[in-house]
Amino acid sequence: MNYFIELVVSGLAVGAIYGLVAMGFAVIYKATGIVNFAQGEMGMLSAYTTWALATTLGTGSVWTVLLAVVIGALLGLICERLIMRPMLGEPVLSVVLVTVGLAVVLRSVVTIIWGASPHKFEVAGADDIVRMGDIGLRVSQLGVLGALLLAVAGFWYFLGHSRFGVAMRAVAADEKTARLMGVSTARVQAVAWASASGLAGLAGALFAVIYGLTPTVFELGLKAFPATVLGGFDSVLGSGVSGLIIGVFENLVGGYLSSTLKDVAGFTLILVVLMVRPFGLFGEKRIERV
Amino acid sequence: MRSGYFKEHYSGLVVLTDSPAVKAWVAALLVVLIAAPFLLGNFALSHLTIILFTVVGVLGLTVLTGFAGLISLGHVGFLMLGAYAYAIGVTRLGLPPELALVMSAVVPAFCGLLVGIPSLRLHGLYLAITTLAFSHIVSAAILAGGNFTGAGRGIMVPRPSILGFDLSSDRAFYWFCLIMCALAVLITLNLRRSSFGRALVALRDNDIAARTMGVNLMRYKLLAFLISAALTGIAGALMGIYMSIVSVEGFPFLLSIEALAIIIVGGLGSVLGAVLGAVFIVSLPEMFSALVQLLGGRLQDVMTSSAHEVKSVLYGLAIIGFLRFDPRGLRGIWHDIRHTWVFWPLRY
Repeated sequence: MNYFIELVVSGLAVGAIYGLVAMGFAVIYKATGIVNFAQGEMGMLSAYTTWALATTLGTGSVWTVLLAVVIGALLGLICERLIMRPMLGEPVLSVVLVTVGLAVVLRSVVTIIWGASPHKFEVAGADDIVRMGDIGLRVSQLGVLGALLLAVAGFWYFLGHSRFGVAMRAVAADEKTARLMGVSTARVQAVAWASASGLAGLAGALFAVIYGLTPTVFELGLKAFPATVLGGFDSVLGSGVSGLIIGVFENLVGGYLSSTLKDVAGFTLILVVLMVRPFGLFGEKRIERV
Repeated sequence: MRSGYFKEHYSGLVVLTDSPAVKAWVAALLVVLIAAPFLLGNFALSHLTIILFTVVGVLGLTVLTGFAGLISLGHVGFLMLGAYAYAIGVTRLGLPPELALVMSAVVPAFCGLLVGIPSLRLHGLYLAITTLAFSHIVSAAILAGGNFTGAGRGIMVPRPSILGFDLSSDRAFYWFCLIMCALAVLITLNLRRSSFGRALVALRDNDIAARTMGVNLMRYKLLAFLISAALTGIAGALMGIYMSIVSVEGFPFLLSIEALAIIIVGGLGSVLGAVLGAVFIVSLPEMFSALVQLLGGRLQDVMTSSAHEVKSVLYGLAIIGFLRFDPRGLRGIWHDIRHTWVFWPLRY
């Protein structure tokens, strides 16, 4: 029983990271109708940059986390302005393939600059153990869960109650009408990319603090796909919560079945889910009218 | 000089070519390709062999993504299945190489059907992610397969002799790849101009309209998956024979991206584009390293220490650059050049 609870708790911690990345996917999909395949790579580049800056500046834990968010958001803005903005109005297929290209480039650039050997991302106090009953948790794992809760709450307020969030939903629902109402699609896209990339940066840095900094951090993006699919691409909050489900499921498969299966557990789960519900668990059903 | 393209019969609209010039040039190209082993050195010959089997695999992706508009990010999964089906057939089951080669088309085709069935309900991006999941599951299954699949160690593949021809020399293998490539090109060209190809393109452009015209969505999408997977599987087997070892590391995810880069750079949905794109993308790292060697300096160290990464950056930049500046791809540029050549000094 204790083993089970331990698996669930550490699954929740890694699932929270997936959830953060998955929310980024959903934000971009909701605002622009495309999937950003470079999400994991953005997280990786932000994590490496944060690590390089944090070790030279010697920042504390809170500042390091904030730094990760800011660097991620800046990276998102740059990519949006230089690469995605000129693609506005192109067919979805082209735009998505551009993000695939971007992903490959970012991934390799990180390896060329920082090398393939792993680094330790030291943050003061992150490895301290907090005991809750029988289970020991690291501060960083608790921090991840807190970050996910904050992000979900923040986006719930932002999308539902702020002026800009409403504008974003309007663009997602009907781009043409939204433009006629004076909403700038370009600015909505910029904000979507900045916030998604900020989330990715946060997730990447936290992942690196817990599991070490290696050039495989980008796989976070692949791991978060199942969460987004499970939650439905157009449901930001659903994606965040589904991350937790995927994390726990993966950990249970890894703990009880085999570690090879662990890597593909999420993908297998979504194959089954998509067979039954082709639009994800919480996704909106698309109705085709002729 | 012809003043325009006038057709008198419907059959004239779908013939492969009605121009004697094109026929003459294709014949000349074929002669050069057949004579190539006598003219080229070892390095150039193996480069050409790589291009040939790459074309076979990319044509598989062209059928699926180019004709039917179904995005696949997991084609490396079919490639891997083809290579392993061949390797396992020859080494574990003791099949003759000819039969193993057939297996390398049949096994991926069957799995293509399995992936294709959910695709009937999935749209665009969901499908891309399903295929991505598929390729990860294939490599996990192979790693978990123990001795039968060679797990992490891989399987050694000897050069076979097929239908009495010994392929152990590089020249013989080159000719074999040339034959397979020519067959694949003919198959896809004929698919595209038959009613099957038109049905696929109709489904890609507007599936609802196509269905009201009586195109059976399920049948054609599944057939597209089947043919695409079979072609890619054959390419995988050729690749396995070429590398003489089949292992999971030999089929990185980058190959899926490379295939996408090829069809985008060449021009989506065209056989000529796939061939041009394959020549361009496969030669790109070589051209780049030659350029770097000319410039010399620190860049050269980066080239040698992280060749894989430099290659990925080049593929990525090629994808972004072509989509951004000329979405028609190399085929569009080729058409422009031909147009200027035919009508010069007039503009049109």
